[in-house]
Amino acid sequence: MDDYIPIAALNQYAYCPHRCWRMFCLGGFIDNQYTIEGTSLHDRVHTVGENQREEIWQIRAIWLKSDQYHLIGKADLIESGNGRWYPVEYKRGHVGEFENDALQVCAQALCLEAMTGKPVTLGYLYYAQSHQRQPVEISTELRQKTIAIIEKVRHLLETGDMPPAIYSSRCQGCSLYEQCLPKAADKVKRYREA
Amino acid sequence: MGTLYITQDDSYLGKTDERLTVRANKQTLLDVPLIKVDGVVVFGRSTVSPAVVIELLERNIALSFLTHTGRYLGRLEPELTKNIFVRAAQWKAIAPSEPALHLVRGFIRGKLKNYRNALLRGLREFPELSLQPALTRLEQAIAPIDTTHTIDSLRGLEGSGSAAYFGSFDALIRAEGFQFTHRNRRPPTDPVNALLSLGYALLRHDVQSAVNLVGFDPYLGYLHTQRYGRPSLALDLMEEFRPIVVDAVVLSAINRRVLSPENFETEPLSHAVSLTLEGLRSFLRLYEQKKQSKFKHPVLQTQCTYQEAFEIQARLLAKYLMGETEKYPPLVLK
Repeated sequence: MDDYIPIAALNQYAYCPHRCWRMFCLGGFIDNQYTIEGTSLHDRVHTVGENQREEIWQIRAIWLKSDQYHLIGKADLIESGNGRWYPVEYKRGHVGEFENDALQVCAQALCLEAMTGKPVTLGYLYYAQSHQRQPVEISTELRQKTIAIIEKVRHLLETGDMPPAIYSSRCQGCSLYEQCLPKAADKVKRYREA
Repeated sequence: MGTLYITQDDSYLGKTDERLTVRANKQTLLDVPLIKVDGVVVFGRSTVSPAVVIELLERNIALSFLTHTGRYLGRLEPELTKNIFVRAAQWKAIAPSEPALHLVRGFIRGKLKNYRNALLRGLREFPELSLQPALTRLEQAIAPIDTTHTIDSLRGLEGSGSAAYFGSFDALIRAEGFQFTHRNRRPPTDPVNALLSLGYALLRHDVQSAVNLVGFDPYLGYLHTQRYGRPSLALDLMEEFRPIVVDAVVLSAINRRVLSPENFETEPLSHAVSLTLEGLRSFLRLYEQKKQSKFKHPVLQTQCTYQEAFEIQARLLAKYLMGETEKYPPLVLK
């Protein structure tokens, strides 16, 4: 299991490389309102279970793994229908808030392909706030993007080199803001001690 | 969030659901949600239940033990954070190095400038005081800091600046029955020194918690040399906070007459002076109020409490050592 890349790290890296470093290299994860909401949502999802809804098989909270890409992670929900398997990733919030969620679905699809031996061409993002399922096409472009991020995350985890903390609008909802203080470097530079 | 101070001897700290309870003599003295507690300080002798120990460790809440008189004994240490990078950077900067020198300058400049500002404030309030000679000596200690290139010489500047400040400290005391001649400790033999020592022990609990939280090795400092069992980095970071937190609380406790000479007792033979239980509780209330009071952080330009400032300064220290900022800005308050 060592040096397998957690699928969750891909999403974080795409959101902010510095946050990814704090979470996966430092273990400095702190909950805030959003992550707690996310966790309680996942508590429901992450109860291993299997049931059949009409013609669709559902398996919840199972481990996904790909030896080829050195990926490992837990799926919220895997479904199968018409002989095809596909991942469903649960998110709080609304459709289309962050495109990085698609990376996570794609990484799950890569694992699922390795585990079932069948191509996975479609996945879904389920948004809790709007109860909507958004299809994610596992296109060649998305695959390439995902594989590129996997490489970057692998490098980050291997070296532990800190990506710079850069302030952006995304920092506002970040649970690691108080640790990261992304504006500090600039403020220290401008500060004149009394 | 706040620190829980246990002053009642033979108390029992227990846990009921998500709450921390303090019981003594078959009575419940306190019942607080754990989520509101960010530190626990026990004075004297108390029993801490195994469930509380586990809970405190898991929540990263520090528990310090002090004697009745406020002498620091030790602490229950939550696991160090996994932040190996910040510790590596801390060790890499070990003296003599340019970053070590920069930090020592910062700690001393912060402390002495805050000393100076405390005297200036005293002068504004009481223009008749003859504080000018001390202020001049302080300026003479501050001015050469940034062009001094050895840590030993910097320690010399710190010594002369501190001597100037404490030489005038008595003038800032405006209540009958309290005098200050010089700093003495282990044990303190007069009320003012007893309060200063107690305040610095409380401050140490808080600053060491912040230093640990950020992931430092508290035993490797720059101004304070390495010595077995001494949390040198916590002591380094304490310097800038001594005047603005502890000395300020001591002066206000005395000058606002929250404490009177009757709140102190003297041991026979050793002449060690300490607060009575009632006096201790009054002082702890003032200290806690100070920590929770807000001000505008001069660097970040946001509102924060002194309690939060301990952690902010520790994070700014980490950022400097990790090469994310060009300098370490000590907290200097007007």
